[in-house]
Amino acid sequence: MAGPDREFPLENDEATLERAQQQILVCQDSQALKAVEREYLGKKGVVARLLASIPQLAPEQRPQAGKTANQIKQAVAQAIEARQRALDAATLEAERSGAGFDASLPPARALRGSLHPLTQVTRELEDLFQSMGYQVLDGPEVELDYYNFEALNIPADHPARDSQDTFYCDEQGHFVMRTHTSPVQVRAMERLTPPYRIVVPGKCFRQETTDASHDHTFHQMEGLVVGVDISVAHLIGAMKTLLRGIFKRDLEIRLRPGFFPFVEPGFELDARCPFCQAGCSVCKRTTWIELLPCGLVHPNVLRAGGLDPEQWSGFAFGLGLSRLVMLRHGIDDIRHLLAGDVRFLEQF
Amino acid sequence: MYVSYRWLGRHVDLSGISPQQLCEDLTLSTAEVEGLERFAPHLSDVVVGHVKDRQQHPDADKLSVCQVELGDGDALTIVCGAPNVAQGQRVAVARPGTVLPGDFKIKKSKIRGVPSHGMICSIRELDLGDEHEGIWVLPEQSAIGRPVDEALGIEDWVIEIDNKSLTHRPDLWGHRGIAAELAAIYSRALEPLQAEMPRSGGDPAFPLRIESASCSRYIALPIDGARPLPSPDWLRWLLLAVGQRPLDQIVDLSNFVMLDIGQPNHTFDRGRLASQGIVVRNAREGERMRTLDAEERSLLASDLLICSGDEPVALAGIMGGEGSKVADDTSQLLLEVAAFDPVAIRRTSARLGLRTESSARFEKSLDPTLPLLAAGHFARLLQTLQPEVSFPAAPSDAGDWRDPAHEIALRTDRVRRALGKELEDGEIAAILGRLGFGVRPHANGFMVSVPSARATKDITIEQDLVEEVGRIHRYGNLPERSMSSVIAPPPPDERRLLVRGIQDRLAGGARFHEVLSYSFISDDMLERVGMSGLAHVRIINPVVQGQDKVRRSVLPSLLTNLEGNRRQRDDVRLFEIGKGYRPEQPSERGEPQELHLLGLVWATPPAAKHARFDDDRLAQLYGVITDLIDSLDLEPPDWEGKRPLPSWLHPAKSRTASWLQEDKPAIVLGELEPGLTRALGLSDDLASDVAVAEISLDALLSAPRRSGRYQPIARFPGIKLDVAVSLTDETPAKAVLDAIEQAGKGVVADAELFDVYRGDNIGAGRKSLAYHVLLQSQSKTLTDKDEQKFLRRFEQLVAKLGGELRKG
Repeated sequence: MAGPDREFPLENDEATLERAQQQILVCQDSQALKAVEREYLGKKGVVARLLASIPQLAPEQRPQAGKTANQIKQAVAQAIEARQRALDAATLEAERSGAGFDASLPPARALRGSLHPLTQVTRELEDLFQSMGYQVLDGPEVELDYYNFEALNIPADHPARDSQDTFYCDEQGHFVMRTHTSPVQVRAMERLTPPYRIVVPGKCFRQETTDASHDHTFHQMEGLVVGVDISVAHLIGAMKTLLRGIFKRDLEIRLRPGFFPFVEPGFELDARCPFCQAGCSVCKRTTWIELLPCGLVHPNVLRAGGLDPEQWSGFAFGLGLSRLVMLRHGIDDIRHLLAGDVRFLEQF
Repeated sequence: MYVSYRWLGRHVDLSGISPQQLCEDLTLSTAEVEGLERFAPHLSDVVVGHVKDRQQHPDADKLSVCQVELGDGDALTIVCGAPNVAQGQRVAVARPGTVLPGDFKIKKSKIRGVPSHGMICSIRELDLGDEHEGIWVLPEQSAIGRPVDEALGIEDWVIEIDNKSLTHRPDLWGHRGIAAELAAIYSRALEPLQAEMPRSGGDPAFPLRIESASCSRYIALPIDGARPLPSPDWLRWLLLAVGQRPLDQIVDLSNFVMLDIGQPNHTFDRGRLASQGIVVRNAREGERMRTLDAEERSLLASDLLICSGDEPVALAGIMGGEGSKVADDTSQLLLEVAAFDPVAIRRTSARLGLRTESSARFEKSLDPTLPLLAAGHFARLLQTLQPEVSFPAAPSDAGDWRDPAHEIALRTDRVRRALGKELEDGEIAAILGRLGFGVRPHANGFMVSVPSARATKDITIEQDLVEEVGRIHRYGNLPERSMSSVIAPPPPDERRLLVRGIQDRLAGGARFHEVLSYSFISDDMLERVGMSGLAHVRIINPVVQGQDKVRRSVLPSLLTNLEGNRRQRDDVRLFEIGKGYRPEQPSERGEPQELHLLGLVWATPPAAKHARFDDDRLAQLYGVITDLIDSLDLEPPDWEGKRPLPSWLHPAKSRTASWLQEDKPAIVLGELEPGLTRALGLSDDLASDVAVAEISLDALLSAPRRSGRYQPIARFPGIKLDVAVSLTDETPAKAVLDAIEQAGKGVVADAELFDVYRGDNIGAGRKSLAYHVLLQSQSKTLTDKDEQKFLRRFEQLVAKLGGELRKG
């Protein structure tokens, strides 16, 4: 690999330099360049040998010879460096061209788990309500008939029980699968000291045949505010804030009479359909979507909770979480929510 | 409930108010309108034709060839098969292109060689009744060429009102009640109802005895000379509009009165009633009767009967009996109009599954003053239709009823405070007046008298009047206010924070999908998981038979769809946070114990034969749970616990953990019971390794918190070394770890098992465990001497375990 074993000055200096420069110019990579560098500038390279031969020269020739050798050394080093820069630039250029890159290849799959869409919407609402001073409460799914009905001003044989389609847990009818989250209203009144604001997310049950829009198990969020002189105007204000939180914009709302024995007056709250201007399948072409039942807490309910209706008043509402999730994601079959199918779950 | 727009117009002037507007206003002030549809919309496509000429069809005896004039000059040729078609008639003509009920499109055709350009319609073809013997002959003065509904003046709209929104309003179960609402909404007058009882003869009153407290009033009116003639058109059209098939005048009037003023009533064939007359009594236990729908009903003592003497002739307030049916030749009738106990009617009707127009009304608590009005209404209408009928005796009117009309003191300030708006007293009084309430000044507001129609149940307290004012004033006219009261910040919600922490950790790094499941668990699944012997809360009326148990544990729910999910994905990781109910330790009030539980399932195809020791589901789920506990800032639990395992766990490959000495483990973890894995369908191509765990959230909540104190970063370099020991298979890995800790007391900064090996070169029944060990001191740089000292001690300790240090 070392150059031919030549003694100085077998070749004149210019020829040596020219040969070196040519060798450098044809180098196509760093490795070849390194070989040339070793040949000329290495420990046993051409320049080293030139320098080693100097003592054999006549003393008057020595300074010139030394100078020449150093010039050759510098010139070769410069040429090598220049060539290296050129090679680096070419390499970068080649990389930049992106040869062989297919921009249409799919991304690597990022693996992850998922939170149930009901969990997601529940969290959002809990956070929203907590920011407004509500506390989040929980209540049992297997509920006493007393809290589910009696305490809510729905005595036995009240026609309103018809629409509740209740699952009974015993022949005596003492226990039911709660038909709504409302039983927590009186449970909360028994525990807390007014004024207070609460929300209660949870599972509810209705004894009905399932289809794409009905399931015997669904999720609701109850809200209850108890204070002094709580009015319908406050309810309207709170509901507008709630809808702003859900839909991220102001929606026109309307209250219309609705009958629920545990509120008086009772309302159905409709919001302008957020999905259309002139009627669509979601709002059944009415431009209104029925969002939640609500009302001022009935004095009998306040009394059941140990509160004096002359002193305390309040409002309550029940938000259908399952329905909200379906609206938000355009889910056309409620039964997907509780079916536990990974193909559904992993989308959220 | 269906309401006819035209019918409402009989009670209140609706001029200038479109059906659409009316529906909107009813929805906003009274009750939810669910639908609004044209009545018989095809009647505006079918036009009045004049049969100018009728000739026998040249090729068919029973067909006529008619020239029908439609008012536009020309006459259409129509071939008609009806026997009653005749020249000069006004008839209903469907032209080619018209679509009749049943999606029947009229086309031009040729009938036996004669072209026909449309159809002359029968009543049945227009879906207006069953008559089909001939075509429908219209009144002579009907305007030729006009749509039939317009020509007859029967254009109508059918309004459907959501029954649920009428649950509390017995007064709205008839057109007059709705009309009264409209009168209040639009400030118009309600037309008076002419319903005084007509003059009656001097016969002795019809015998009547009430023996049950469930009947508070019973009116029996004998009627003579009534005939079951067809009803006049005005009556037929109104009944048709609300979906009732007209039958004859007696039946139709009975229905009309109910739909008009909301009071159900019944007519008996008086000739077939016993001489003792009507007895209202409770049924005897096990007594039987056959109702008009030909069903044999078995009765309880709580059911109320109308009897002829002792013979049941009607199930009170629900349905008549077969025995009392009014026959065609009957001319002697007895009209029943009564007030029954809503609860009794509701119970009987619910038990028998027999819901009728009548029972739906009675169970709403009808006004007990209404029966006399209804009897008069019926009698007057019948007399108008059949002037020859007579009423031989004054109505028998019995019962221990009282007028429910009462007064409520209304503090007008309460109205303003509840609605959140400064309404003037005068406006409040005006609204109540429009609704038919009497209003007179009283302390702090008014004394409001509630008319009987609203007084049975609906309006009983001050708040009910607030609603009346609010809904007529319109809730949309109330302002929006934010609450000004000061609320203390809610206390931190530990349980919810815990739940969120778990959800985020599992759905994040651990890549589990969160599931929410039904709380009901099938008998089949309980059987498979070996839990069918345990006590469960049971649903007595499940939607699906065999789905009547409320789960004790969330884990079986997660297994329900495991096979389906494994079919879709190789790696299935699911968790659920939910409740389980255990009835064996009820609360004082009998409530089952409620457990908040976290369940986890991880299923994958079986691990490869020579997979790393920690590449199996159980080890990895163990890792997930350990990490979860760590992320929740809890002390590590004690995994040594030997506690009873649930039936779904592998009896050997499982472990439990607790923090405190509780009687139940806080965590159970293991492989799924192998028999269960197969029973779940996870075999053959779906063969799976399944690790499962269930964790009590209550235990997590009470578990001790980690101190969270910072560990200083080591300032002195450590020594990394690997050690391997061979031991008998029975020696637990924990013993080796303990030996490492002991050998390097105080300087073992880390010891990580990285290999478990079994093979010929270490002998049968033995295993090799290999560890990365980091020795590090907080106070000095360790040297070779320290390492040698550790190894020497370690070798001795291993020897005590019957093992040996592997070298090289």
